[in-house]
Amino acid sequence: MEKLILLLLKLCILVCVVHAVFEDQVGKFDWRQQYVGKVRFSHFDTQIQSSKKVLVATESNVFAALNTRTGELLWRHVDKTGPEGNIDAYLHYAQDTVLVVGNGRMLRSWDVNIGGLNWEILLDSGSFQSACLVGQQGIVKHVAVLKKTVISVHYLSNGHQKWIENLPESETVDYQTVYSDGNGQVFVLGIVPHSHITIVVYSMEDGEIIKQVSVEAPWLSNIPGSCVVVGQGMLMCVDSTTLSLNILDLHQQLQMTQIPLQSLGLEVDPGFHPSLVSHQPNPAQKPLSEFFLQLGPERILLLQLNNGQIVKLNDFKPLKVLLASFATTGEKTVAAVMSPKNATAYSINLFSADTGRRLLDTTLIFPVDPNGGKPERLHVQAFLKKDDSVGYRVMVQTEDHALTFIQQPGRVMWTREEALSDVVTMEMVDLPLTGTQAELEGEFGKKAAIQDGLLSMVLKRLSSQLIMLQAWIAHLWKLFYDARKPRSQVKNEVSIENLSRDEFNLQKMMVMVTSSGKLFGIDSKTGGILWKHYLDNVPSNAAFKLMVQRTTAHFPHPPQCTLLIKDKDTGLATLHVFNPIFGRRSQVTPPALPQPILQSLMLPLIDQDYAKVLLLVDDQYKVSAFPSTKNVLQQLQETASSIFFFIVDSSQGRLSGYRLRTDLSTEQVWEVAIPTEVQKIVFVKGKRPNEHVHSQGRVMGDRSVLYKYLNPNLLAVVTESTDLHQERSFIGILLIDGVTGRIIHKAVQRKARGPVHVVHSENWVVYEYWSTKSRRNEFSVIELYEGMELYNSTVFSSLDRPHAPQVLQQSYIFPSFISTMEATLTEKGITSRHLLIGLPSGGILSLPKMFLDPRRPEIVSEQTREENLIPYAPELIIRTEWFINYNQTVSRVRGIYTAPSGLESTCLVVAYGLDIYQTRVYPSKQFDVLKDDYDYMLISSVLFALFFATMISKRLAEVKLLNRAWR
Amino acid sequence: MLRRGSGPLLWLSLQAALVLVSCFTDMETGPGAGVSTQPNGDRFKIEGRAIVPGLKTQDWVSTARVLVEGEEYVGFLRTDGSFAVNDIPSGSYVVEVVTPTYRFEPVRVDITSKGKMRARLVNYIKTSEVIRQPYPLQVRAVGPHSYFMKRETWGWTDFLMNPMVMMMVLPLLIIVLLPKVVNTNDPEMRKEMEQSMNMLNPNPELPDVSELMTKLFSGGSKGPSKAGSSSKGSRPAAKRRFLYH
Repeated sequence: MEKLILLLLKLCILVCVVHAVFEDQVGKFDWRQQYVGKVRFSHFDTQIQSSKKVLVATESNVFAALNTRTGELLWRHVDKTGPEGNIDAYLHYAQDTVLVVGNGRMLRSWDVNIGGLNWEILLDSGSFQSACLVGQQGIVKHVAVLKKTVISVHYLSNGHQKWIENLPESETVDYQTVYSDGNGQVFVLGIVPHSHITIVVYSMEDGEIIKQVSVEAPWLSNIPGSCVVVGQGMLMCVDSTTLSLNILDLHQQLQMTQIPLQSLGLEVDPGFHPSLVSHQPNPAQKPLSEFFLQLGPERILLLQLNNGQIVKLNDFKPLKVLLASFATTGEKTVAAVMSPKNATAYSINLFSADTGRRLLDTTLIFPVDPNGGKPERLHVQAFLKKDDSVGYRVMVQTEDHALTFIQQPGRVMWTREEALSDVVTMEMVDLPLTGTQAELEGEFGKKAAIQDGLLSMVLKRLSSQLIMLQAWIAHLWKLFYDARKPRSQVKNEVSIENLSRDEFNLQKMMVMVTSSGKLFGIDSKTGGILWKHYLDNVPSNAAFKLMVQRTTAHFPHPPQCTLLIKDKDTGLATLHVFNPIFGRRSQVTPPALPQPILQSLMLPLIDQDYAKVLLLVDDQYKVSAFPSTKNVLQQLQETASSIFFFIVDSSQGRLSGYRLRTDLSTEQVWEVAIPTEVQKIVFVKGKRPNEHVHSQGRVMGDRSVLYKYLNPNLLAVVTESTDLHQERSFIGILLIDGVTGRIIHKAVQRKARGPVHVVHSENWVVYEYWSTKSRRNEFSVIELYEGMELYNSTVFSSLDRPHAPQVLQQSYIFPSFISTMEATLTEKGITSRHLLIGLPSGGILSLPKMFLDPRRPEIVSEQTREENLIPYAPELIIRTEWFINYNQTVSRVRGIYTAPSGLESTCLVVAYGLDIYQTRVYPSKQFDVLKDDYDYMLISSVLFALFFATMISKRLAEVKLLNRAWR
Repeated sequence: MLRRGSGPLLWLSLQAALVLVSCFTDMETGPGAGVSTQPNGDRFKIEGRAIVPGLKTQDWVSTARVLVEGEEYVGFLRTDGSFAVNDIPSGSYVVEVVTPTYRFEPVRVDITSKGKMRARLVNYIKTSEVIRQPYPLQVRAVGPHSYFMKRETWGWTDFLMNPMVMMMVLPLLIIVLLPKVVNTNDPEMRKEMEQSMNMLNPNPELPDVSELMTKLFSGGSKGPSKAGSSSKGSRPAAKRRFLYH
């Protein structure tokens, strides 16, 4: 019986905390954007004339098909991150794509029509060099894969190995490329540095060596970098030291003929390494005899090899050629050439490849974003028009990872900002007030107003009220106007100009920083990109920290964000100060930082312009402030004694606390050493500064109060053992007071290893780890309580807390791996908390914190029931109803950002990884606003019905009274 | 530390699990140590087939992935729904087919250092429990994921079937309709009714409880006539109407 009651209770609680998405809310408050990453290989599907597919393989280990009309994803396959999923080579034939993955570890063939796998085979280990399709009599049936010491040929239909051969003299010869042109032979080219080229010719049928020749070429070091095969199997190499072209007939292999570039009347730009581009439209046939030669950053020529002679077809003068690319449709091959038109536009022209003549009516002019990167690659899709002339579309890839698809005569069909596939950090900034709101604000805000006197103040008030009235009428008129139009035409175009804060501050500006150095401003309501800014001097291994120095709340002053960009190797940092609403660089000049930066911290101090003070600590432990006005320095001197900070040195295993002196130098206060030979520090997590805790304690079943230990300076330090053996590995968690260095609590989880995910908030720390003993993921929660009495209820000071807190801990089994974890955040902290857990399957689970409560009892008693504690169960459950993103999965979630909104019940959530997903969550349901399904019809009809019922009954009663009187 | 859910019994089985598991897997090539220490050790592949009943594979394979131990190893589905995840060292793994639309149960696959495979149900609490599953894996979709809650819609039937409404409406119906149905003018019926009334109130001399109470508390002679009138007033009136109307 007791069990039954327990079960009922549990069910009841479960039902109470369930808060799923309703089906009609799909897409109402949430949006998702899917990305693929920086494109490495691309291929336009030309199987069918009307095909709308472009296949891309990217540096994020993604293979996807995009719709060329809209730029949307048709399908996408996301492989493992890191080198094991790296796409090394891309080969395409008919409707199959063959990818070499993971440094030649795997060969995969995809059916591009349905996006399914044809076959996958594991190759022998060995470093991958090159791969090519091998054709015979115009049909491609095989694929050849060259590795350091071995060459193998596989059937294209099922991946089975046809033959595998060891390469001769592979200890001395560095084999680099494999080439085939459809005559039943496979050429393997290798070099002995500073000596000669080795050419091994294999028979396609049985893998026998037909020929093996060496040709002198002491200057050559890298075949793929400087050589191409042109025409009837002629290897053409460019030598950047002697500035000459060298030609070798692969079929004859006698010797290299050298043609100096000067003899052709060509000159190389000083310091430029010339390069060659050839084109092989069909892998079963010979490549074209035309090729590009690039002589400078803005100089590319179209040349032809004709009977051993090099003919200049076109040098494209006077165009400055940035990029050039071949494209083939049917029998025709064209060369697309891109050159700058003016400062904000580029033009592309088409030339016939075999004659070098310009094709008429093929100019395409398109604008470029001045805040974007330079074009990097040109992908051309050529097609035959009805009149047999060649039409084309281009996909331009820029160095900020953006893809722009352009149609003639320059219409931009779509743009994909692939930089957003790698968001590093983000912030949500409140939108500014509208003009009218600002006007009202300005009335009281300006200091001059005080001196104006009564009459002018009244006038000012009247005028601002008038403006508001005007705005309201305009709004009403727009509503009326829109209501007459059909629904589909009414579009609320969001642009920077009409951005304004809404009633409940639910719409915000998402400032996203990507690893490529491109910054984005995205409207959180629609997901539209409102501004973008490419920082072109960002080092490739930069670490970013984004801080909001001034919010939009201080009206005449523009909001201000500061991005700290730090080179991970040197430690040198730069600051980028910008306006988060418009994305423009701020007028404030950031200080130059000549020393490596160890730590940066935002202080709650503000200067006279309401900007928060940013402190930067350099490697000499000197502190500099930004902004560093007199006012700020004075404030710093006054408060220096209460400014503490900590520095983590995970390589040395040292965690040290410092205090600021009045002369802006620092002194070390404490140090905690963690021996690096045993364990290493993986995380140090403090609490979020904008977090509010509403209740100081918890009411127990017996009406007493258990007070929370709310130390804002508490740090959670997570360590992992260096010994990864499953019997001896452990993870440790230390709770340290950041001011005094006092260790509040220490816990060690034996037979556990990372990756560890931690959330630290209020008075609790939740962490997740892998238990090597039971091979499962486990959650553990630590809660800290002061006890039944508060030591000092008005203010918390780390220096004056004599009693150690009570520590409660409990652990649970979690039936899935997790990618990332974050807690919801609301304005006042009244709403109950949920944990948002990103799962590898792409779901984002919203798990009530209630389930992770160390006071969950094993045995239910009257008191625990009174407290609404759920009885302990070892396993946490994952319910798909708790997925806040329903079927909108987010691949490779790396981070979840939560921000409070103006409504206490609502928390804004952005999950980012390969995709970006934005939504709102209501951890305690929408208690402060009418739900969106509120039935206005019902309530009004009931009211009307009651009203009429009273009217009628009143009338009836009157009649009855009258009748009675008559009786 | 993990708190035990149901006492020593579970603990015992957990311990047993540990022993069993350690017998089964080769410690050297366990998931923890194996990957880093011996990159060239034997690698195996996990094979299987995923089926969504009543659906062509072409329609869903492009959205599906096979995840082994989270995203530690990733496999893709072939166009016929079969899959093979290559390059896996020996150990014990949870294999899961994930799609945004259909739900598949995860399976635990154990690979010995010699390459022997076995599949069993995933049980995170009793990790050693072996309920064999077929290998190569046959994963069948359990059904579509249920992501959405049903809206509480308002309908007349819901309103009428509400117990509160029933309690209100039924007596009202009886009061209004019964007099019409039953012919009260019939003397026989009247007699019968009177009898039944007497049955309901077997001892007319016994004072009413409420009356007794009010008498007791108000203590005066005024009390019953005033206080009782409100509670009793309706019933005699009703009776009267009932009888003589």
